[in-house]
This record gives sequence, C-alpha cells and structure tokens, in this order.
Amino acid sequence: MKTLRIVKSAFKSLGRNKLRTFLMMIGVIIGIIALTMVVSAGLGARQRVMERVRKFGLDSLMIRAGAGQTMGRPSGGQPTATLKLEDAEALKREIKQIADISPQVHRPQMEVKYSDKSTTTMVIGAMPSFATVWDWGAAKGDFIGDEDVANVARICVIGPTTQKDLFGGANPIGEMIRIGNVQFEIKGILVAKGTSPTGGDMDNRIMIPITTMMRRVANIDYITNIKARLKSAKEMDKAVGSIQALLRERHQLAPGIPDDFTVTTPDEVTETAEKVAGTFNLLLILVAGISLVAGGVVVSNLMLISVSERRKEIGLRKAVGARKKNITLQFLLEATAVTFTGGIIGIALGVAGSKILETVTETPMAVSWQIVVLGAVFSSLVGLIAGIQPARRAASVQPIEALRS
Amino acid sequence: MSDLIVQARNIQKIYNPGKTSEVAAVRDVSLDIRKGDFVGIMGASGSGKSTVMNILGCLDRPTSGTVLLDGMEVSGLPDDELAKVRNKLIGFVFQSFNLLPRTTALENVELPLVYSERANIGRLARMALEAVGLHNRDHHYPGELSGGEQQRVAIARALVNEPEIIFADEPTGNLDSRSSYEVISLFQKLNGQGKTIVLVTHEPDIAEHARRIIRISDGRVVEDRINEDPKNAEDELRKLPGKEVKE
Repeated sequence: MKTLRIVKSAFKSLGRNKLRTFLMMIGVIIGIIALTMVVSAGLGARQRVMERVRKFGLDSLMIRAGAGQTMGRPSGGQPTATLKLEDAEALKREIKQIADISPQVHRPQMEVKYSDKSTTTMVIGAMPSFATVWDWGAAKGDFIGDEDVANVARICVIGPTTQKDLFGGANPIGEMIRIGNVQFEIKGILVAKGTSPTGGDMDNRIMIPITTMMRRVANIDYITNIKARLKSAKEMDKAVGSIQALLRERHQLAPGIPDDFTVTTPDEVTETAEKVAGTFNLLLILVAGISLVAGGVVVSNLMLISVSERRKEIGLRKAVGARKKNITLQFLLEATAVTFTGGIIGIALGVAGSKILETVTETPMAVSWQIVVLGAVFSSLVGLIAGIQPARRAASVQPIEALRS
Repeated sequence: MSDLIVQARNIQKIYNPGKTSEVAAVRDVSLDIRKGDFVGIMGASGSGKSTVMNILGCLDRPTSGTVLLDGMEVSGLPDDELAKVRNKLIGFVFQSFNLLPRTTALENVELPLVYSERANIGRLARMALEAVGLHNRDHHYPGELSGGEQQRVAIARALVNEPEIIFADEPTGNLDSRSSYEVISLFQKLNGQGKTIVLVTHEPDIAEHARRIIRISDGRVVEDRINEDPKNAEDELRKLPGKEVKE
C-alpha cells in the first residue's frame, strides 16, 4: 500500500513542472519512436521472408545452374548451360529422399500474340510434376500432361493476367496463341497467385511443356533450375549432400573444382535474409539507442536541478523519519515515471508511425506486443539509470536543510 | 533516571573547526529535561538556541558531548538510525510550517507515517487533524489555509506518530497574536495530556507559557528557572478583542 503511495506521488510530481517534465520526456519519446519503428520494420521484413519460405515449402529445395546463385527471379543475363534435363531425371531416380521433382526452363520476356492483340510475358517450360511440387495447377481446363511432354506438344496453360490481357472476359480454352513464331493451343488457366513477395505479378505467365520449350521455342539443351520436394523436411541436410555428390559426378567435376550448380535450402534463405536485415537493424537500433542515451542525460541533468530546488522538501522528509533508501527510491521512481510515460507516448506514436509508413510506402511493418514490452522496459531502464546520480545526491541531503528558508 | 527524556552533557557545536572562520555556536551546554515537562528555550537570534534544539532533536550532530534520548545514546548513531529515532520519538514544528506544497493537509500529516511501519495511515492522520481542531480541512492544500491553520496542520504532523517529545522552533514567529495563542494553547493542552514540549522562542511573552524557562546566550545556558506561574494561553485569547474563542 505504501509502495503504491510512493508510485502515485512520483507520477504526481511530474505535473508540478510541466515544461521540465516535457523536456525530460522528449528525448525518450523520440528514442522510443525510433526503436519501435525500426523493430517493426525489422520484424516486417523477417515476416516477409518467412512467408516466402513458407510458400516455397520447408520440405523443398532449389537447384540452379551456375555457382553462387541466390534465390530470386532468374536474371536476364547470360544463361548458364550446366544443368540438363537428364540431371533432373537422375536425381529423381537415384536420390531416395526426393519425393518429386520439377525442372524448369525460364524465358523472362517473350512476346505473345492473339489475333491483333499482343502482350509480353514470362514463359516457363515445365513438367506435369510442376503442379504438385509448386502446388500450382490449373483452375480451369487442364495442366500440362505426360503425353504433352512426350509428344513435344504445342499446348499451353496461361495465367489469369495474361488471359485478361489477351482475351478480356472471353473463354480462351481451345484458342490458339503465338509465342515467338510458334502456335500454341490453350489447354487451361492457372490458379491465381496474386503479387509475389518481391512485388511482381505471378499471374502474368504462360506454362508450356518443357520439351516444347527446349526444342521448339528456345532451342537449347539445358534447363534453368530444378525444384525438389523431399519426403521429409528432416532429411534436408542428407538430401543436399547426396544431390551435390550426384551432380558433381554427372558433371565430371574433379576434386577442388567448385560446383557448377547451386543448391538453396529454405534455412539458407532465412539465414541470408536475417544476416542482411540484422546488420541493417543493428545500425538503426544503435541510432535509436543513442537518442535514448541523449534523453537519459537530459533526464539526469534536469533531475539534478530538481534535487537542488527541493533540498528543503528532502530535508523535511528526512526530519520526519525518511531514510536514505526512501529518498533514493522516491527519486529513482520519479525519473522512471518520467521516462516510462515518455516511453508509452513513444510507443503509441511509433506504432502510429509504423502504420502510416506501411500504408504510404508499402514497407511491411510488423507491430507486436514484444515491441510494446521492449519499449516499456527500455524507457524504464533509461529512467532508472538516469535517476541514479540525482537519487544519490538527494539521499545525501541532511535533515537540517529542512530549516533553511 | 527513567523519567528523563533528554540528557545532554557538555555539548559543543563548532563550525569550520581549526579554520580562521571557526565559529562556536554552542560552547558548552548540559541539561536534563523530564518527561512531561514544558520547556521554553529563550535567547536572542544567534545565541545558539536553535542549534541546541537541532542537536537535541537529532537534526544535527554535536561536535563534542553526548545526548541521550529516552535513555539511549544518540550522538554517535548513523544517519538512518537517527532517522528512525526522529520518526518514532520526536515531532517537529517549524517557524515556516514546512508543509509540502500542492499536497493536501491530510497527505502532509501522513508523511511521518509513510516512513514508519504503521498501518491505517489515513485514519491516524485524520485523528491527528481532529486533535488540532481541523475537522474539515483534510483535502485543503496549504495555500488554501491561513497561517494559523497551516501551523496546526504541522502540529498534527508532529503528533501523528505519537512521539514522546515535540520540538517547536519559533512556531509563532510567522503568526499574528491570535493564531500564536491558539498554537500555544494547543501545546499546553498536549502537555496536559503528558507530551513533553520544547519550545524555542525569542519572545518573552510566549516563553512565559512554559513551566521551565532556559535562557541561552552566546552558546551557554545563562539562566534555568522553574516558572512558578505559567501563563494560560486560553486566558490570553479571551483577553483579545473581537471574536470568541473557538474550541
């Protein structure tokens, strides 16, 4: 009950000198706003990566042609010709951890025509297994079938955006379109996936049989990448080792020569993203921290002034029986009450700022209860530390000071 | 022996000892005060009377000499122990009231209790305010009270922890004569209930209300006499023109 009384009187003392209280708070408010927004941005970015990885599948991995490829859309640069369709077949045949495999050939920008309309879209050569490995099949009509691959059939499955661009509202199934110089019959429409995490339209694409892509459209004997889905996410490490060994053997790479392919696991993607975000966030948190320290110094100085002004009050409290620890506690609590209140204001403004930033710039921000707790704890800590010196000085005031007039 | 609340032996207070600015505020004072007495300490300003009171009341330490309060040696106690003694044994009343501003009368009176181990703080403080005749002033701020009322709040604060002895340093110094007599009357009533009162004043008229008068000059006791016929503050109030005496 007495503790409650002391806490209450600490908050009450804030109202005595409003300008001073405001000055004490402002540094902490700014620091906590910065901290809240930085942490929300960091968490937001992390959530986006996690979302992407989760969509990709925690039990899946990606094999790309060329060394040192990272996850993302294939670049339009010089293609690497090291990965063959036979590699994918061998992997499926020989690596027992792999449940299913989907090799792909990408052509990022191709012109597509339907009567007098044309559009530019990504064209992907794939196997029927694409539908299960990527969990992405046809919403209407049919997806690519085994016989289409075997027959090097000129059929395609188009994304909803491509459909809209070329046909408007009309049913495109059975219609003929021209990709490059080749005529294709539309067999189905893909399930809509919306916007990708990097902001691209995932529905503006055309899927064709991988054999047709290699022989009739691109005229190549290599593929872009392979996605493999494992029987169990737990076998990830074992699978990666077996895949690397098999591909090195097939590509006849002597020991000491680096891989001419890259295997990327969901863990690696998360790690890389966190490493990049971590460095960036550390820097921003440092900035927020400096602001908090500056706020703390202001609190400390103004509290020292307040102690000198209140020597008579402190003397009186001591004269009626206050011990050193009572006075120390009182001033520590006063400093903490200031910074805690500043912290709460900072959190509120920071959360509001995060929401505004999210709406205006479309930066993903994740506001969570952890941020609120973090802000409250940090701001209290600043007050506690800033209050030490003033509290110590207050505690050393002698009771005889009560008699000074 | 046990009926002595204060036993001071050869107390000295010297400021800046050994320097050229050395000042002896109290040169050599020895005195005993019996429980239940009403002592007036008189002296001109600068005589050292307040310093003596501060040392007896544990607000200050003597340079040399010993002070026993209720049989306990206090001159060598550490700060926090002295705080405990002040909290339990002593009540203070100051010339300038020393109430906390922007804090209600009730909260001011509660202050010594906040630093004690006692429960029922609010109830005890209200009782103390009633004892000084301030029934309905609980939630008034010091600025809303007259000087006399403020001093009575201060007396309630001095009383609230049921101390053995009350030290009052020029309690009437900032008050008009009616308020002064009201305050002295309150002290006489408390003394009648058994409280020991030590009243420091430079006004002979006020000192005449005490039962024993000690005169200090230049840091020494120069006179110590029993006041055979102390004045009654109630009578003085009646003699004042104007309003009737309030209870």
